[in-house]
Amino acid sequence: MGSEVLRVEDADIYVAGKRILRKVDLSVGAGELHIVMGPNASGKTTLLSAIAGVEPYEVRSGKVMLAGEDITNYPLHERVEKGLVLAYQNPPSFKGVKVSEILKWLRRKFDLDPSFTESLAEILDIHKLLGRDLFSGMSGGERKRLETYLTLSIMPKVALLDEPDSGVDLDSVGRILEAIKLALKHGVSVVLVTHSTHMLNLVRPLTNTAHLIFKGRLIFSGLYDEVVPLVIKRGFEGAAKALGRWS
Amino acid sequence: MLNRNMAEAARKALSKPAPYGPDVDLSKYDILNPRRIEPTEILEQERVRDASGRLGFTPEIVRKAGYVQVNEAYLASALVESLRKQGVVVMSTAEALRKLDIAREVAWTLIRPDTDKYVAATYLYGKEQGYFIYVPPGVKVRTPIYTCLLITRGMTAQLLHNIIYVADGAEANVVTGCSIAGLHAEALHIGVSEFFVGKGAKLTFAMIHAWSKGAVVRPRTAVKVAEGGRYVSYYMIYSAVHSLQSYPKVTLGRNASTSLYSIISGEGEGVYDVGSSATLAGPGSSAEIISRNLAKDKSRVVARAEIVGESGPSKGHIECMGLILSDTAYISTVPLLDSRNPEATLTHEAAIGKIGEDQLTYLMSKGFSEEEARALIIRGFLSVEAPDLPPQVKLSVDRVTELISSKGHG
Ligand SMILES: Nc1ncnc2c1ncn2[C@@H]1O[C@H](COP(=O)(O)OP(=O)(O)OP(=O)(O)O)[C@@H](O)[C@H]1O
Ligand SMILES: [Mg+2]
Repeated sequence: MGSEVLRVEDADIYVAGKRILRKVDLSVGAGELHIVMGPNASGKTTLLSAIAGVEPYEVRSGKVMLAGEDITNYPLHERVEKGLVLAYQNPPSFKGVKVSEILKWLRRKFDLDPSFTESLAEILDIHKLLGRDLFSGMSGGERKRLETYLTLSIMPKVALLDEPDSGVDLDSVGRILEAIKLALKHGVSVVLVTHSTHMLNLVRPLTNTAHLIFKGRLIFSGLYDEVVPLVIKRGFEGAAKALGRWS
Repeated sequence: MLNRNMAEAARKALSKPAPYGPDVDLSKYDILNPRRIEPTEILEQERVRDASGRLGFTPEIVRKAGYVQVNEAYLASALVESLRKQGVVVMSTAEALRKLDIAREVAWTLIRPDTDKYVAATYLYGKEQGYFIYVPPGVKVRTPIYTCLLITRGMTAQLLHNIIYVADGAEANVVTGCSIAGLHAEALHIGVSEFFVGKGAKLTFAMIHAWSKGAVVRPRTAVKVAEGGRYVSYYMIYSAVHSLQSYPKVTLGRNASTSLYSIISGEGEGVYDVGSSATLAGPGSSAEIISRNLAKDKSRVVARAEIVGESGPSKGHIECMGLILSDTAYISTVPLLDSRNPEATLTHEAAIGKIGEDQLTYLMSKGFSEEEARALIIRGFLSVEAPDLPPQVKLSVDRVTELISSKGHG
C-alpha cells in the first residue's frame, strides 16, 4: 500500500441540509483503486461530491485530508488545484462552449502532460467530440467517456469517478477501464463508484479495496474479495446481514 | 437640396416621439456644420484612438477604413485602385447626392423624413453627413469595407445618413463601428441607414457599438432586398449607454433571405430597446432573427423581433435568448409573428434565465474559478453561429465577445 493520499475522518455528510451519511472514515493510498458500492440513493454521489467540495453536498463535521493537508474548508476549485477531482455521474450540458475550448483552458491551467493526455484521448476516443458543445446532445456513452477524460487528463492525485460506466456499451467500458489503468500507472488514485458486475470483474486485478454504503453508513471498508462477491451473490441487504453490519 | 414637401413634413415631425424607447430632448445637443478633414489630422488624435480601440478596431483598420467620421468632421479615404477601377464608390452621402444619379434616386425612399423626430432632425439638420457605398452590378468585394463613426466631444449631436447600394449580382461586406471617447461623455448619435440589396446580390453588414453612460443612440435602418438577394446583419453592443433604441426593418422580395443577429450586453443604468423586423414580401423568401441579450447592473433590455408573413410559401424564425446577471437588471423579449398568408411558416422560441448554478459548479469542479466559469458561460451564450460572417469580421466579433465575457461577472 502506498502512502495515504486521501483521508476522510469521522465525517457527517449532508446534502441540501439533510444528513445522508454518518461518521464516514475512508483512507486511500497513492496509486490505489478503490471501489464504492451501495444501492441507489444510498449516498455514493453524495459521498464523492462532498469530498470534492461540490455544492450542495457538504462535510459538516469531521475532516477531509488530501496528501496530509486539511482541505475540509477549501472551495471547490482549490481542491481541484490541490489534486482532487470529481467526475460527475451526470454532467450538465453547455451551449456555445466547445470541448476544445475547455481542453485548451485545462492545458494552460494545469500544464497537462501532452503524451499522457494524447494517449488518454486515444483510449477514450475523444477526437470526434472536440468540435462539439460540451455535453450538448451527446449520447450517454459519449458523455461518460468525455467526463472521464476531462477528469483524468488533469492527472489529479485522486480522481473520484462516479459511475463512469453506467449506460456505456461493453466496448466503451473496456475503454474506460484502460483509461483508469493508465491513470493508475501514472500514480493517480481512483475512487470508483459502479453498479456493474462487468466492471467489477474487470477491475479485480487492479484493486483489493472496496467500500459498501448501506442505510446511511459506510458499513464496510476492506478487501474487495470479502465484499464484492457477497454483494453480487446476495444483494446489498443480504451482504450487509452476512457481514454482520445490519440485522 | 431638401425636397420641399419632405422638409415640411419633417418640420412637423420634429416633435414626434418614436413608438419605443425613452423620449429625448434634442435641443440640448450641439449640431455643427460638417467639414472635411485630412487623414493625418484625424488619425493622430488620442481620443480617436481611444474610441476606435473600444470597437476592437486596430489603428490599421481605421487607417484603411473607407469612411471615418469624427464628430462633424469626416474623411472618405481613397479606395484601393482595383476597387475604384471596378466602379466601387465610397464617399460622403452629401457628395454622392451632388455627384451621382443613383444616390439621388434612392435617398430617402426607404425611410421617410417624418418617421419620427430623430429622422426629421437628421433630414433637416444633418446636411447629409454619413457614408454612401455603391457596388456596381456583378462586382464582388470580399474584403470588408470598414466605416467608423466616432464621437470625441461631449454634447455633440451626430446626425448621419448612410446609404449602401449593392447592385444586382454584386457582393459587399461592410463593418461599421460606432463609438465614443470617454466613458461618461454625453452625446447624441442618430444614424439613418438605407440599404439596397439588388437581385441575387449579397450584403453582410456588421455593426459594433461601444458607447458611454451619457450616450443617446437612435439608429434608424431600413433594408430592401430584391429577388434572390441576401442580407446578413450582425449587431453587437457591449457598452454602457444612456438609452439606445433601434428597430431595423428588412423587406424581402421573391426568394430573398435574411439572417439578423443581435448581441446585446446591457450594463449600468442603460436602456437598450433593440429589435429586428423582417417582412416576407415575396414568395420563397425567408428570415431568421436571432438575439442574445445580457443584462447586468440596473440595465433594462427590451429585445423586439417581428416577422411579417405577407406572401407564401415563406419561412420565418425568431430565436430570442436572455441572460440576467443581476437582481436589478431587466430583460423583456417581445417576439411578434404576423401572418397574412397561410403558406407562411413562422415560428419563435424565447427563453430568459440566469447562469445555471449546476453549470457554474461543474466548471469549478474542473478547476475554473467562479469568475472564469461565468466568463466562459457568458461567452458561450453570446457566441452564435453566423456562418455568413467573413473571417476578418469574425475576428473583430470574437475580440468583442471576449471583451464582454471577461467583464461579465456581476
Ligand atoms: N441536491 C439534492 N437535493 C436534495 N436531495 C438530494 C440531492 N442530491 C441527492 N439527494 C438525496 O440524497 C440521497 C442520496 O443520493 P445520491 O445521489 O448520493 O445516491 P447514489 O447512491 O449516488 O444513488 P445512484 O446509485 O442512484 O446514483 C437520495 O435520497 C437523494 O434523493
Ligand atoms: Mg449516484
